[in-house]
Amino acid sequence: MKTVRVLIWLGVAALGAYGLALIALARGEERPTVMWFVIAAVCFYAVGYRFYSRLIANRVLELDDSHPTPAVRLNNGRDYVPTARWVTFGHHFAAIAGPGPLVGPVLAAQFGYLPSVLWIVIGAVLGGCVQDFVILGYSVRRDGRSLGKMARDEIGPVGGFTALAGVLLIMIIIIAVLGLVVVNAMKDSIWATSTVAATVPIAMFVGIYMTHLRPGRVLEASIVGVVLVILAVIGGRYVAGFSFGQWFEMDAPHLALWIIGYGFLASVLPIWLLLAPRDYLSAFIKIGTIVALAIGIIATHPPTLMPALTRFTDGTGPIFGGKVFPFAFITIACGAISGFHALISSGTTPKMIEKERDVRMVGYGAMAMESFVAIMALIAAITLKPGVYFAINAPAGVVGQDAAACAKISSWDFPVNLREMQALAAEVGEKTLFSRTGGAPSLAVGMAQIFASSLGGRAVIALWYHFAIMFEALFILTVLDAGTRVGRFMVQELGGRVWKPFGRTGWMPSILVSSAIIVGMWGYFLYQGVVDPLGGINSLWPLFGISNQLLAAVALVVATTILLKMGRTRWIWVTLLPMTWLVIITMTASYQKIFDANPRIGFLAHARQLASAGADPRLIFNDRLDATVAGGLVVLVAVVLIESALEWARVLSGRKAAAVRESPFVMTKLALEEQS
Amino acid sequence: MSTELCGANTPVREPLKARTNLKKIRAIAAEIIRVFAVLWAILREIFDESAYRRFLVRHKLTSSPAAYGEFVRETEISKARRPRCC
Repeated sequence: MKTVRVLIWLGVAALGAYGLALIALARGEERPTVMWFVIAAVCFYAVGYRFYSRLIANRVLELDDSHPTPAVRLNNGRDYVPTARWVTFGHHFAAIAGPGPLVGPVLAAQFGYLPSVLWIVIGAVLGGCVQDFVILGYSVRRDGRSLGKMARDEIGPVGGFTALAGVLLIMIIIIAVLGLVVVNAMKDSIWATSTVAATVPIAMFVGIYMTHLRPGRVLEASIVGVVLVILAVIGGRYVAGFSFGQWFEMDAPHLALWIIGYGFLASVLPIWLLLAPRDYLSAFIKIGTIVALAIGIIATHPPTLMPALTRFTDGTGPIFGGKVFPFAFITIACGAISGFHALISSGTTPKMIEKERDVRMVGYGAMAMESFVAIMALIAAITLKPGVYFAINAPAGVVGQDAAACAKISSWDFPVNLREMQALAAEVGEKTLFSRTGGAPSLAVGMAQIFASSLGGRAVIALWYHFAIMFEALFILTVLDAGTRVGRFMVQELGGRVWKPFGRTGWMPSILVSSAIIVGMWGYFLYQGVVDPLGGINSLWPLFGISNQLLAAVALVVATTILLKMGRTRWIWVTLLPMTWLVIITMTASYQKIFDANPRIGFLAHARQLASAGADPRLIFNDRLDATVAGGLVVLVAVVLIESALEWARVLSGRKAAAVRESPFVMTKLALEEQS
Repeated sequence: MSTELCGANTPVREPLKARTNLKKIRAIAAEIIRVFAVLWAILREIFDESAYRRFLVRHKLTSSPAAYGEFVRETEISKARRPRCC
């Protein structure tokens, strides 16, 4: 039996290696079918889970089911609830899955599919899954403490404060960049804007339904909401025919102002009325669409049209400037490794874990699944004709408009013509698809083609396109709602230290002022992205990637410190290697984004170029602000790194006792019964 | 068991096979039901229906708009402070 198992796993490993070799070595017109992407990724995740996560569980974390989890010890039926592992897995996956793994791989496809697929698969197996797993494991051993608290306990107060400040800054950038993605997806589109606008009253109706009409029937209310949302997608096609349809035709700056206003409203309104029901609606559509996309890809397995590597690996890419190293690795964050996951792994999930060994499946397994979502998004992008992909994603400031854009993109050996783009736009029910930067529209076109091939054919491709846009917008607005409110609480907490009444979370003047502060901060970055002649994504997405990966580096620093203090120096490479890689890529990317002499990459060089051309001083200020933010992030992480390194030196030299702040061991009732 | 041992007029192979098939079908059905039960439990957890059920049991209440309002108030802070991942 053991021999059979060994042979099976050897077969899985060989199949994964063969698939990845096929993907990596394909050149010219001979491109592997997308099924090889699916097979290679699944085989790698399976081998990583079976062997690497097992090694970490047994040797690094030493997970032990006789060690009771906080959910068991502190079970209060509210925050701490022991939950079956599959249920915890589903809950955790729903919490970590956001729009990041959908958008990042689409943008990084400008380098070709190879860097993305390698980073997504290898980065997840050796980095992202490991980070989520160890942070969840350590949080479970510490009563479900948050990353910030663990950083303060294990590294020191400066590290803890820095981690918290970093989280606030990261949240502001994330909301701004995701807001920009949604604005670019909806601008000048009555159908898309009216559909997304309809989700606001629908979410409110769901809130009233589950609170007053059928109390507690959240699933039922969400199903009603999903039906209404689908009707809104179908009805959106006809809105332009009514006089009120023109209300929804907005350019990007106006849409940005509406999104900013919406963010303020969502932060001020009661949770049950907008935030919670939108969250439920989003979760429902998210799960359904991801499953449908997986089925669609397997059923249709469309051909790969993007080459393995494009000429833009040299840094001249039209979507964002910068070479494949380090920019491919920061553009794809959530699909490979995401620092934000460490907040979830040290938030609700550790309080649900029933047995310590469940941490492996929940922490490592859920991230592997998230990484697979990124592979699917990449597939949706690389099955588009490359010329079409670049025409949608390249900003007008770089490639020009309409016919000029087609000529420019075709000159790169990615043929595309005006008639083709106009036909595609008409087919999906849009006026134009040129320069719809941000990744969401091209992902929507790719998804719509996959869905239409499986169900309904080309006749319904417009419906699928707008369904995909609505799906992405719903996802993003949920992050925006929740992030704004979390940011508001942080501002109230900070303000409360200066003036006590401001810290009262239920006091309306404090709610209004703190909401205005947090919305003002991300709103400023969003608006600057919208008016940026280079499309905004060029500057904001790298900032998002850098900040998210820096947070991951902080999480891995905390994990490494704990490992050292536990005396597991032999296994320190498990967290130290991904941490070192993240520090290298983020520091390199930050340096280049600030100081590179190429104005398409360096913020300061771009500011100088604008100044010499006598451009709007506000644009120059924006570049300098972006440079300051990138620099600020680097300083924050450098502080954590230095403080940690000093702590490591103290522990390794024996100048400080290696004491970890684990909760004391208490044997579970089951183990006690077994012993007696 | 062979038919010869049981006598030529008492063939037991077919009913035995049918029973075995029935057992297999039942086992498969039970497995499918188990999978759906787990999926249902996941959905109820994600959509906070399980949390509401636990709240009602803890406070010995029956479901009503007032009880749900109380549940929303109790979970509001933890829900509002929970960021959604990017």
